[in-house]
Amino acid sequence: MPPFTSETSHRTAPAAAGLPRRSLLTTAAAIGGALGGSALLSGCSGAASASPTRAVPTRGPAGRPDRGGTLRIARPPASDAETLDPASALSAYEYLGALYNRLVRIGPDGTVAPDLAESWEPDAKATTWTFRLRRGVTFHDGRAFTSADAAYTLRHILDTATASPQAPVLTPLVDPKRLRTPDAHTLVVPLKSPHAEFPSLLTHYNCYVVPDGSARSIGRTGIGTGPFRLESFAAAGPGRVTAYPDHWAGRPVLDAIDFYSVADMQARSNALLAGQVDLLSQTNLDFATARVIAASDRATIARAENAQWYVLPMLTTEKPFTDVRVRQAMKLAYDPEHILKAALQGAGTAGWDNPVPPNDPAHTAAHPAHDPEQARHLLKKAGYERLAVDLYTSSYDPIFTPMALAYQESAGRAGIRIRVKTAAADSYYTQIWMKKPLMATYWYTGRPVDQLLNQVFRGGSSYNETAWADKEFDALLDRARRETDAGRRRELYGQAQALVIERGGAITPMFADRLVGISRKVRGYAEHGFEFDYLRIGLKGA
Amino acid sequence: MLTFLVRRVVSALGTLLLSSVLVFLAVQALPGDVATQVLGRDATPDAVAALRHQMGLDQPAWERYGHWIDGALHGDFGTSLVTTKPVGGEVAQYLGNSALIAVVTILFAVTGSLVLGIVAGLYRDRWPDHLISTVSLIGMSVPEFVVATVLVLAFSVTVPVLPAVVLYGPGASTGQLLPAVWLPAASLAIVMAAYIVRMARTSVIDVMASEYVTTARLKGLSTWRVVTRHALPSALLPTLHVIALNVAWLVGGVAVVENVFNYPGIGKLMLSSVQNRDLPVIQAIALISAVVYVLCNLAADLGSMALNPKLRTRGGRIR
Repeated sequence: MPPFTSETSHRTAPAAAGLPRRSLLTTAAAIGGALGGSALLSGCSGAASASPTRAVPTRGPAGRPDRGGTLRIARPPASDAETLDPASALSAYEYLGALYNRLVRIGPDGTVAPDLAESWEPDAKATTWTFRLRRGVTFHDGRAFTSADAAYTLRHILDTATASPQAPVLTPLVDPKRLRTPDAHTLVVPLKSPHAEFPSLLTHYNCYVVPDGSARSIGRTGIGTGPFRLESFAAAGPGRVTAYPDHWAGRPVLDAIDFYSVADMQARSNALLAGQVDLLSQTNLDFATARVIAASDRATIARAENAQWYVLPMLTTEKPFTDVRVRQAMKLAYDPEHILKAALQGAGTAGWDNPVPPNDPAHTAAHPAHDPEQARHLLKKAGYERLAVDLYTSSYDPIFTPMALAYQESAGRAGIRIRVKTAAADSYYTQIWMKKPLMATYWYTGRPVDQLLNQVFRGGSSYNETAWADKEFDALLDRARRETDAGRRRELYGQAQALVIERGGAITPMFADRLVGISRKVRGYAEHGFEFDYLRIGLKGA
Repeated sequence: MLTFLVRRVVSALGTLLLSSVLVFLAVQALPGDVATQVLGRDATPDAVAALRHQMGLDQPAWERYGHWIDGALHGDFGTSLVTTKPVGGEVAQYLGNSALIAVVTILFAVTGSLVLGIVAGLYRDRWPDHLISTVSLIGMSVPEFVVATVLVLAFSVTVPVLPAVVLYGPGASTGQLLPAVWLPAASLAIVMAAYIVRMARTSVIDVMASEYVTTARLKGLSTWRVVTRHALPSALLPTLHVIALNVAWLVGGVAVVENVFNYPGIGKLMLSSVQNRDLPVIQAIALISAVVYVLCNLAADLGSMALNPKLRTRGGRIR
């Protein structure tokens, strides 16, 4: 009988092997394909693996695209029950930015920028926000975009029947019944409590604007105001969008985009190498595959900088992490630069236990230096002189295990014994996350600072993965929301970050660039956080 | 002969019943029940209880089993927890796509490997035998996903004549899928053929050394006639079982290959439903796989009966 064991081995290949990433790569090059799909690729393309110093490119091809052409994108399907409803937890993410606009988006500098709202201002206490909406905008079915659509979009997100992931963020602030539309181009949002950063919460990808009354049909029709309109869509299947010539910001460069759903990452890479697709969206390639792609004639690698941040959350409700001194020791004990080098091969930025990305305007660098001696001292004071803890990891993401092993090595020098344990990938987020005292995980960046700190670090929040509850920290966040002076507000968010670093339960070693596989013909690729430039991306020789 | 037939069919039915119980129990034994899996992180005790009631999970297990097996017998496998569509129709669509690969694979693997196995057996210990044996041993030792990747590198990346992945969804037409069938079928055929070649070679060698073949030769019959009329029917007998087992393996074995090629077949559906914890779909696929497995073995037994005069006349048992 053919070997049944091979069925699992290729899916769990690099991470589950339990080897440091670097040694795994050398082994793979030596024994060729025996270790699995990606390792095989590196073994077969001698040019790429022969020179280990050859770096993966930091930028995609430069230059201007030609007008027209069809871009083919391979994407991982969200679920077999995908929908085009942007507010849904099962939205087909890649279509949203092409089909829709939000009121506001995040600009390249990290600040809130206009989209369908041209300007916005709060009242003196930041309890009522007024959005002035763009004129002359039409939906793909020809209807004019008005404030009724903007108000409806908010009500749709807040509707409990929609079960939107952004609803828990907005429900405490917005009463759907009190939204006002004094004229067709003005939306007034009275808040339940003051919030000086409220517009930033509307930059989320669940907040794309849909036509008034479209809740039942939007999941299939995809009618928005975006640069492309829907031609066809199949859940977890192929779909196509074509340029919308009447788009308010001008016609997009491309004529059309074909979206293909490919669940397996190896299959996605093969499709790119074979020239069947031009871009792999939402795919963080592992380094071996990235090198093979960069070495090919058809495709290369671009980067979405600091696209995700990696965390080792310590459950602050579980021993020994109930003691703040142990948490501090766990952070002082390791060197983030070492983990960045060992696990990410330098493709990112050291995190220094601050989850706010370095390119966010609110970021503050308030971290203490790497200090294993002080870590030893703190552990001794806390009565955990010979600290030994389990650190859970899985093959869910290729970086988890290298990160865990690099942390183990680095913290080992401060006398902390880490036992790395590998758990099953498919139940990792139901059995391990928020259940085991120490594990490896990650988040996508792109959340504005207020949402990030409130969602992941505020006491009692459903995403608070360290179960950390600190009254002083929560009060700082409340003060920041009430603070209408931008400079003072930034100061308060800075103090909040300092508290996360000093007392919180999250060890944040690094921010990672996403390695994006693109065809050498693609021009004008730009992506940061949850923003993708569908308007200017195009092809050379289209 | 009739006794054998009846006994064999009854045992096949018994195996099916047993496997349906096992499939049902295995799914019940998964950590957390359907309700908690569906609700995921929103699983409050109230919500779980409500959903359990809605799904009939608060009924006793034997009652649920009876309900499930009754539905399955009528072709009703329930509704998918993810897409909320009937499982039967969904599985049938994916199964049809896999059947396309299976037919091509079987056609090529069986005919090709039988010919190669017979040639190797007839030219025992000479160069054609050495060549075929070595190549088939390599095919046997290399896992199918490696073969698949090598084939993609050769025929999609280096010389782009065939697609590396299927970009269509499960509803694709046969015409759309046909160009994409060859590489998955080839990778499965290479792994599968190796076993059949080895088996065919061994039985041909055995038969060619037997007394009745020697007698036939002494009668002055040509080699071609000896091989086709006297040796092959007996040589095929043990090979038939290997072929049957391999055909049954195809149903499960395509999972890996289908994922490498993003082929919308039963293996891909199985993987995604396991990841989504879509239990009705998993149950249906497991049961259908069991049916295919049992049917293939049944067909092999009946086929060998047809080929073996001893079994046909005396109603004896195989092995």
